[in-house]
Amino acid sequence: MKAGKSLAILTMAGALALGMAGCGTSSGDPTGAGSTAETTAAETTAAPTPVTLTMAGWSLDTTPEFKLLADGFHAANPQYTIDIKEYDPSKYGELMLADLSAGAAPDLVPIKEAKVIYQWSSALKDVSDVAAGLPKDVAGVDAYTVDGKVYASPYRMDSWILFYNTDLFAKAGIPVPDGKWTWEQYAATAKELTTKLAAEKSPDDQAIKGTYEHSWQSTLQGFANAQAGDIFSGDYSYMKPYYERVLDLQKAGAQETLATITTNKLTYQASFGKQHAAMMLMGSWYLATLTAQQASGDADTFAWGVAPAPQVDASTTSNPVTFGGPTGMAINSKISADKLEAAKAFLAYIASADAGKALAGIGNVPSSADPSVITTLFAQKGMPTDDLSKFALSTHIVKPENPVGENIAALQTILGEAHTAIMTEATALDAALADAGARAHSEGGVS
Amino acid sequence: MSTSPASPSDAHPTGMVASVTEDVVSTVQAVRVIAKRHTHKSTSWWIGRVALYALLVVASVAMLIPFFWMVISSFKRDNEVFSVPVRWLPLTWHPENYIRIFSNSMAGGYSMTNWLKNTLILAVVVTFLQVLTGSFAAYGFARVKFPGRNALFLGYVATIAVPWQAYMIPQFILLTKVGLSNTLWAIILLQAFGAFGVFLMKQFYETIPEELSESARIDGLSEYGIYWRIMLPLSVPAIASLSLLTFVNTWNDFLGPLLYLRDRNLFTIQLGLNTFAGDPQTASQDALIMTGAVISVLPIAIIFMLGQRYFVEGIATSGMKG
Amino acid sequence: MSTTVQPAPTRTIAKRKSALRRRNTLMGWTFILPNFVGFALLTLIPIAALIFISFTKWGALGDPVFVGLKNYRTMFTQGTYWTALWNTVYYTIIHMPLTLVISLALALLLNQKMRGVAFFRTAAFFPYITSIVAIAVVWNLLFSPEYGPIDQMLSWLGVSAENLPRWTTGASPITGAMPAVIIVATWREMGYYMLLFLAGLQTIPPELYEAARMDGANSWQRFWNVTWPGLRPTTFFVTVMLTIGSFKVFDLILVMTEGGPGQATLVLSQLIYRTAIGTSGAGGDFGFSSAVAVSLFLICLTITIIQFLVNRRAEK
Repeated sequence: MKAGKSLAILTMAGALALGMAGCGTSSGDPTGAGSTAETTAAETTAAPTPVTLTMAGWSLDTTPEFKLLADGFHAANPQYTIDIKEYDPSKYGELMLADLSAGAAPDLVPIKEAKVIYQWSSALKDVSDVAAGLPKDVAGVDAYTVDGKVYASPYRMDSWILFYNTDLFAKAGIPVPDGKWTWEQYAATAKELTTKLAAEKSPDDQAIKGTYEHSWQSTLQGFANAQAGDIFSGDYSYMKPYYERVLDLQKAGAQETLATITTNKLTYQASFGKQHAAMMLMGSWYLATLTAQQASGDADTFAWGVAPAPQVDASTTSNPVTFGGPTGMAINSKISADKLEAAKAFLAYIASADAGKALAGIGNVPSSADPSVITTLFAQKGMPTDDLSKFALSTHIVKPENPVGENIAALQTILGEAHTAIMTEATALDAALADAGARAHSEGGVS
Repeated sequence: MSTSPASPSDAHPTGMVASVTEDVVSTVQAVRVIAKRHTHKSTSWWIGRVALYALLVVASVAMLIPFFWMVISSFKRDNEVFSVPVRWLPLTWHPENYIRIFSNSMAGGYSMTNWLKNTLILAVVVTFLQVLTGSFAAYGFARVKFPGRNALFLGYVATIAVPWQAYMIPQFILLTKVGLSNTLWAIILLQAFGAFGVFLMKQFYETIPEELSESARIDGLSEYGIYWRIMLPLSVPAIASLSLLTFVNTWNDFLGPLLYLRDRNLFTIQLGLNTFAGDPQTASQDALIMTGAVISVLPIAIIFMLGQRYFVEGIATSGMKG
Repeated sequence: MSTTVQPAPTRTIAKRKSALRRRNTLMGWTFILPNFVGFALLTLIPIAALIFISFTKWGALGDPVFVGLKNYRTMFTQGTYWTALWNTVYYTIIHMPLTLVISLALALLLNQKMRGVAFFRTAAFFPYITSIVAIAVVWNLLFSPEYGPIDQMLSWLGVSAENLPRWTTGASPITGAMPAVIIVATWREMGYYMLLFLAGLQTIPPELYEAARMDGANSWQRFWNVTWPGLRPTTFFVTVMLTIGSFKVFDLILVMTEGGPGQATLVLSQLIYRTAIGTSGAGGDFGFSSAVAVSLFLICLTITIIQFLVNRRAEK
């Protein structure tokens, strides 16, 4: 037993020792060697030092943003080149964690979901100086701030909005959202749409429901956390009205039940794109997907628009509160010193108005709030052109989906289980919320 | 089938197996006896046969329905794969998915043939190593008595209980440190030395009578000779099942290659086909996923079909006669 | 093996014995070594590291901080661990014997000489190689309360609407998601274990059946006196593997229910995975996760030892 334990410590120590020894040298071996060779050649001519950075990306065929940013950066700074390493999109976080842990990660590390930042910060460079130099209107920096230090630069900022199918509203004879909706109005309209559209069928012969809320816990809890309460409080009674409303919508048949969604693996893209629902609460990343799918035929052709998310009451409708999160770029702490400057320049570039316009040109909502960005975004083919849609993306308070904190992942797990228990009616609402609160104290680090 | 699996320990399951096996055994024996006597087949024999085939056909359909769904889904549009209620036939047929997946995989100079080649190399090498080292070690555990043997064997088996997910990161760090991540070697090492093969082969060696090895020993055969000349030839069905299972598991392994392989040229078929699935958060290409799944299942179905013929009565025991 | 059974061991015998023992040990290890080297490097060292990590606080990044037994204390006081443990045990207790019996029956059925047996064997193995997503979708359809044939049959049998099982969406261990998962898992794995039984059946010499028939044994007696004892090493192997496999159940549950609703189908492997890697690489707590893995390892080790002891007694 004793020998076994010392063996364990030995191997672990060995692995750790190897890990530390590998710090300076192992990151990006081939390119590192190449760039130093080029460095010596370039120094003699006093031209800017060429540097090649490696960057992670995913689904490069369908996610053009990585190539766009890399090319744009190279065009503005010809001495810098970026090589993209492709990762699996659905397991990106897991794979990057493994690569960071083994010291095999590339120089530039995209942050797909902001919630990883607390844990990953120990393997990332502090880029507070880059953040301080960003334009004041760049959104999402807060989501990357841990103990006062910033660890990534946001280049996209998605927020949750209400998508609606204008054609279906017209068919039902109901006016489209006016941007002043409260949750009560939203729920009432969802029911009314369901009743009025009961005789209609979607082109693929399915019944049409008033609205669609996907199975993710954030479709409900994200709004509750942003508009009504604090996830770190350990008291989740503020979610009760949100759940009561949705359970009522499920019962009335005005929205697909969570049980049906999960057991049939329904996708939100099909639900809205194939007109099985007249409304859908979704993140703004869906703008690009919907226009692309309408162009390809994967989604039906219909007129649509977006409106701000419904509010608790009328007091916030002039500057609506919603939730969302940035997509950003961080720097691997094991980057070699001669590449750091280039990497920081890239982080500054991606949050600039120039990069923002380029991103808007492929349908992404950039972190930059420059007015030209919104204009470019809505100039894209297939995008709605009404003023309310533009308002929904330019005027709002976006609270983080996952506030930074050590225990956020544990709390999300607890609340995720509460979500499925409530939505399938396996547990009564009050009991499930109370249980989540108790577990937040016992397992989620809430004191 | 019992629909209330809450009471496993009552007499029900045993009763079931009793009746099933009795039927089966009696059918088996009946067939054998009749075949031996060359008598003509009675009506009851024919009724039994027809009933048996009817049962097997129904059961086969039950086994294959998800596969049918998979095949049909591969002809749908991405947004039509999942629906309520499940729609069996596509609204419009899209055989071009099969062209799409090939052309997608050709983009950037990568090729599906390359992935098939990688997967085949992995599956063959891993199967070979697993069978060779597993059966070799199993002989040591089954037939050589030495102190600590049982404890060591127990340790082997018990490690199977640790889920790979629990130690994949330490293992990944280890293999990355020695420079093996992003190589096919990593996957070979990962799969080839499991305790599964050792355990399986040991159990089969124990069915081979000790007297056989004893007389071979008297004839002057070394332990290695006994392993090679007697044990291996007599354990063909065990080797066949170990090979089939190892081959299938290596072929279908997704998480291992996913964690270790970054270079597209090194991808396995499972990993490669999934690369085109798209980001599930934005635009998941579900029809393409199913297309890929169909393409990757067919080769192993064929290999299984060919491999199962080693499960023929007498193949193991034929060598023991005389 | 012990020398005490010998009535009066002389020196030379003892010497020869110890020489034999040394020779055997050497011989045994030469057989085991090729596999053991790979096994030790690839499995034992990472598992040793895992045991070490279970006494630390570690998020996969940076250095582990030694915390003693804290992770184990947290584990034993946490409701989630006990829920996951209970679900896993429940799953195993039902899934293990069910799969054992069905796969054995299937192997006996498909061990006959008959036309098309290759096709039927392949069909039985198909669930194991079919995409797990396809399996989940089709089975969820079968379980569906609105469209599913299973509930329809149950209602024909007189089960009233409110008493129909809430397959995949209910939390009840008898009429909820857990039995649904067990049914699908059994259906999926029976072909796999059938293959092992098929291999085992080939090792039974046909002469034994012949002899039993001469003695006038009926089919049940032949099964009980020839097949069953002849299959014992295989049955033992399948039992051990099935038990461990059930304790480790992971991917099917992930695809079918993700452990839900609530924690109704949360199992240990899932708890291990999600506390280590977290969701999308966030919130990793490898120390706690490793502690759970060690507990799973110890449970399986204990059960395996018991199975070995029972098997050895049956051997005698």
